[in-house]
Amino acid sequence: MNIGRPKRIIEVEPAQLPVPETLPEPLPVSEPDREPIPADASR
Amino acid sequence: MHVELETDVELDDSRVAGEPIIAWRAWGLTGRADGSRIRLRPVAGPTLPWPHREAAKARCKRGKFHTAPDLACTCGLHATHTTELLRRTKAPAVLGRIALWGRVIEHEHGYRAQFAYPQRLRLVCLLCFWLRGMHGDPPDIVAVAGRRRMLPLCEPHLGTAVRYGMRPKTVVEAVGIERALLDAYAVDMLAV
Repeated sequence: MNIGRPKRIIEVEPAQLPVPETLPEPLPVSEPDREPIPADASR
Repeated sequence: MHVELETDVELDDSRVAGEPIIAWRAWGLTGRADGSRIRLRPVAGPTLPWPHREAAKARCKRGKFHTAPDLACTCGLHATHTTELLRRTKAPAVLGRIALWGRVIEHEHGYRAQFAYPQRLRLVCLLCFWLRGMHGDPPDIVAVAGRRRMLPLCEPHLGTAVRYGMRPKTVVEAVGIERALLDAYAVDMLAV
């Protein structure tokens, strides 16, 4: 593959790098609040 | 990839840009059949894999006395203006849009850059891509060969490859490998 002759030099200084940031560790998820199960619920 | 070298070439005016340059590139692919340890690799030669979630940085293999890319060398991370040139790539497995920055040398048909990171990716059936470029069929499977080399193929071309002597160790569905690739590099799929 031939990309041909060089034409120009470009200095590219992006304000923000086009690289995805490393994802943070997921936060621990608390158990949802539950209604206490009545002792006689199965009856 | 071939670069025409001319040390006394007259360049257009150099310039400074504040946004990355977006271009095309093809890669080889290695990884395990379960999608782990998946890595983009340059299609030419046994060179280093592209890192996940950090910029690839060009290094010159010919000498340590200049910063890559150098005008009088072939070094740098290569990319092209169009996909047509990439159809001549040896064993392409992945096609993508790529961001280039740092020192970038623009050529008639592409670029050589100091830093790069893929922006959008998709697997390509290498035989479809050679024959029809962007209009080829998407791969159905990925054949995993020696040294974890991955070859995406459509079903008809898997048959062709086996008839011509390819003996993959494992064949897995392309959709799972593509998902693992996109997750590993944290990029979106390239639309057809």
